[in-house]
Amino acid sequence: MQLRTFLAKDMREALATVRADMGPEAVIIASEKSKNGGVMVRAALDEPDAAAPAGREDAAETATIADFDTHYRDGLLRRLRSQPGGTAKNAARFDRAELLAALHRQRLPDGTAHALAEAAVKAQLTDMTLALASALDARMKPWALDMHEAHALLLVGPNGAGKTAVAAKIAAHARLAGRRTTLVAADSAGAGAVARLETFARHLDCAVTTVQSAAELNALVSECLSKKTFVIVDTAGFDPRDGKARAAFAALAQIGKLETVGVVSALNDAEEISEIVEALAALGAKRLIVTGLDLTRRFGALVAAATQGLALAHVTRSPFIAGGLDSPTSLSLARLLLDEQRSAQ
Amino acid sequence: MTTHITAIGSGKGGTGKTLIAVSLAHALAHQGERVLLCDADLGLSNAGVHLGLGDTGDLAGLLDGSKTLKEAVVRVNSGPRVSFDILAAPSGTFADASEAVVAALIAILERAGQYDRVLVDLGAGVDATVMSFAARADEILLVVTPDPASLTDAYAFAKLLLRRTTTRVPQILVNMALNATEGRRIAEALMASARAFLRCAPDFLGFIPFDARVPEAVRRQSPLLTLFPQTPAAVAVEQIARRLHGNAAAPVTAMGLR
Repeated sequence: MQLRTFLAKDMREALATVRADMGPEAVIIASEKSKNGGVMVRAALDEPDAAAPAGREDAAETATIADFDTHYRDGLLRRLRSQPGGTAKNAARFDRAELLAALHRQRLPDGTAHALAEAAVKAQLTDMTLALASALDARMKPWALDMHEAHALLLVGPNGAGKTAVAAKIAAHARLAGRRTTLVAADSAGAGAVARLETFARHLDCAVTTVQSAAELNALVSECLSKKTFVIVDTAGFDPRDGKARAAFAALAQIGKLETVGVVSALNDAEEISEIVEALAALGAKRLIVTGLDLTRRFGALVAAATQGLALAHVTRSPFIAGGLDSPTSLSLARLLLDEQRSAQ
Repeated sequence: MTTHITAIGSGKGGTGKTLIAVSLAHALAHQGERVLLCDADLGLSNAGVHLGLGDTGDLAGLLDGSKTLKEAVVRVNSGPRVSFDILAAPSGTFADASEAVVAALIAILERAGQYDRVLVDLGAGVDATVMSFAARADEILLVVTPDPASLTDAYAFAKLLLRRTTTRVPQILVNMALNATEGRRIAEALMASARAFLRCAPDFLGFIPFDARVPEAVRRQSPLLTLFPQTPAAVAVEQIARRLHGNAAAPVTAMGLR
């Protein structure tokens, strides 16, 4: 891992320097205000990983490790010998019309696109990606789930948004963090979902319980919390237009200590998703998980969901549990919106 | 039922690994665990030096079969009616330990039913013997200090461990932090790197503050917890031992997220 520390006037300048010196893959791993008013930022960059061609990891352990060690060392040496910071891609210069066109191609609603473009102009940054990131920054709030601290989550979202897979992914993270975890199916209708949860749970070594009513769920959550067990509740599809379903979900969401987390798919129309997110906010959800980034090449719905006032906890790019949960930032979102446009051309 | 093996590594040398291993053995023994401290820094073992011991056990005898585990270890009394065992090789005995030696040693330790826990002090570095030891442990404590080089080496350790096992993730233990904020910040930096590049989420186990009493205890070759039981570093070690003690009761099968 390459590790460097930068001193800059402010966060914006620091980000630009990190990007210019270490390339777009660099990650800020620490930052603090320095005594004379500026900021100190520490950034890391992983070594190029020539070592692990696909399929090799499962091969005979010792051989792979010896190879990997050698490759790892060689990679380190290569990087140490090469000039620092030759990796930055040609950064696009900021241009309002071009940005608007890019956002349009991503199927953002016109109002949102114009608001973002205006904010990007005000940021006065010459780099296109950074300008968009700065504009997004004011409108979205990344707030990842803390797998060590979270106690009980109620996953709510429309049919097919991927709630069950998200529940399994969260459970996998929690197990990795050493938490005892219980998956709950509050889902009398979807027998298929229960069977899938049970399959996931077997692999993750955690328990599965089914509940039929809000009262039953309330009792279960209290019991699990007293045993310090992390509870993840999977629910049936949520249709915001169905008054009866809304009432049923409101009863679940009102259970104290149970945090409502919205799950929506990026494979959606931007306006459609805005309505759903609004309904989720009305239920009391404070953050969202957006699924299916691998299924769509236009991210208007993702941006619409992320800029609706709810915090963006995670996005998923893979239907597999092991595909994990990504924690997006304004910068990674800006990159996604602009890079996708470049590759599509 | 196999014995719970806790390995302590850091990648970089000089992070206070051995002192932590010795102090944890001491603290865990006081919490009622039957502990064996195994100095697996096979080339340059020095846990005995920290404890001021002349005899640190006969690892060579154990490995060539001339001694049983019971005969090979040495008992360390760390308080009234409290003791733990230590097993180490005199410094320099295993300068060229092979993976086969490590495998043999691990096989013995895993079956050491007379102990609740074996604490393994891994050597510095990330070579094959260190990593194969770490890969077989039930839990791995990764020691990091405020030194940036320690961060990159710890990251390399975590990366190699994950490559080797595909699922194992170490727990982060920050040593020599000025205060809780710095301890948390150092752990966060390593956790952020692991999340971004390795797609895994290491746990933050705790931190041990920088404490002038620590070098003093090392200089006197006496256990920190005997000499200065109330000093902040000793208190922190005891807290961490309590956390480990709790974890051992419910062993975790780690899940990969790759």
